[in-house]
Amino acid sequence: MIKQIQTFLISLIIATFLVVTQTTATNLIWLQSIGMPVDMQVVLSAMATDLVDMNFRGAFPVIGLIFVGLLIAFITARIIAIWSSIKKPYLYALAGGAALLAIVALMPLAFYNLDLIAGARTVAGKAYLVVAGMIAGYYFGSHPQQGDSNEIH
Amino acid sequence: MKFTNLPMLCVSLVLCSGSVFSSDESLAIETEVETEILAEGLNHPWSVTFISADEMLVTELSGDLRRVSNGRLNPRPIMGVPEVLFAGQGGLSEVLVDPNFADNSLIYLSFSAPDTDKPKLNQLNVIQARLEGNVLVDHKTLFQSDPPRRTAAHYGARLAFLADGTLLVTSGDGFNYREQAQALDNHFGKIVRINTDGSIPEDNPFTNRPNALPEIWSYGHRNLQGLVIADDGTVYEHEHGPQGGDELNLVLPGKNYGWPAITYGVDYSGAMISPFTEHPDMEQPLKYWDPSIAPSGMILYRGDMFPHWQGNLFISALVPGDVRRLKMQDKQVVEEETLFTEFGRIRNIVSAPDGSLILVTDGEDGKLIRVSAKK
Repeated sequence: MIKQIQTFLISLIIATFLVVTQTTATNLIWLQSIGMPVDMQVVLSAMATDLVDMNFRGAFPVIGLIFVGLLIAFITARIIAIWSSIKKPYLYALAGGAALLAIVALMPLAFYNLDLIAGARTVAGKAYLVVAGMIAGYYFGSHPQQGDSNEIH
Repeated sequence: MKFTNLPMLCVSLVLCSGSVFSSDESLAIETEVETEILAEGLNHPWSVTFISADEMLVTELSGDLRRVSNGRLNPRPIMGVPEVLFAGQGGLSEVLVDPNFADNSLIYLSFSAPDTDKPKLNQLNVIQARLEGNVLVDHKTLFQSDPPRRTAAHYGARLAFLADGTLLVTSGDGFNYREQAQALDNHFGKIVRINTDGSIPEDNPFTNRPNALPEIWSYGHRNLQGLVIADDGTVYEHEHGPQGGDELNLVLPGKNYGWPAITYGVDYSGAMISPFTEHPDMEQPLKYWDPSIAPSGMILYRGDMFPHWQGNLFISALVPGDVRRLKMQDKQVVEEETLFTEFGRIRNIVSAPDGSLILVTDGEDGKLIRVSAKK
């Protein structure tokens, strides 16, 4: 059980890191495109700031949203796995992608079509975040679950 | 429009009185005020303008234009107001009278409305119409923001006349489109200047720049909610920033006010919008607020009722809900005082012809509150 929680937390960190740094990158790439002086120091500083502030100082903690999304998605995937023959890494990857898709699709519905995660304002940005969820899900599904045999699916 | 409290309004009394102590030591004036509810039950009131000494028009974001005469709210809304998109921050926004209203009865309205070709999108609109009795007639569209937007936020929607008779319109960044505030081929995050027939003045700053919209007057703004013109022509504007970045700006034609390339605020998600707060080609605000106050309206006080406040800017604020009095000297803010903290979110502030202040409270049960000098 502890190992499973550990795996879940690592997948949560993976997804959160990818989501946050994508917003950072989106902002910095645009700033550089209009001639603002974006150097490596600015990049590292902005990434570090966003990793702290988006998770602990914003109006909503990104890590909390992703936690809830992945938790619901992975529990659902676990139930589906009982009768599904889809290999677990792929099943959980789909679940992780669905979790992030739900977050980026449902948040605007609650806030007048506003995308509160800046990196999710474009279709490409939303697609990237879904892929981030899939990577986190793949990681989770690639590790043995409680009740699994020792084989890696 | 439902109006249930007419009897109470008929006997609207001085509800409370109090003192506002000026912190201006040079004047050392204690300003004693009394407050009176002029109207209540307004559905998200947004803007107020006087059409005579004792008559005013009030917009409700939900889409009605109301008339208050001699301190009484007419229960029947003014007819002929266009359909608006009442969603999020959108709806019927500003009402402004023509400088020659006494002769031509013209008023100007700003509002959000669905795009006619793509109804899932919407635009900021500015129209001119003539007020005949209780009906608006002879509508003429003067401005539609372009491109249309998907979001129902950050419209700006303030209007003000320059001394030369041209009209300034604030057009917000639409929230999702903030980077567009730095491009001159769209209306996101701009102040535009137009003539009252909808044409574009030839002396606008970008008329000769390729790929720039000629109606743009200044750019790099976010959600511009306050706009006043001083007697010497100085244009003051304030805008909602993100968390910690509300700004008061002195606006000059052709200038770039930086959003979102430079800002003192961070995104609601906590994300850094920009690590930069200054750039040689971008203007600095006269003042910024951190934490935010959510500025919602602004006047330059010219009245006689509070002579020691003449020339001060008054800014209504939604968070936590108060009015900021800014004393200006040489076009700089030299003093800030917080007033009227007891009314909650204040959507707007106007000055009445007699010099009293009218506070507009926010929400479904919005009120007009008159602040007068205590007799």
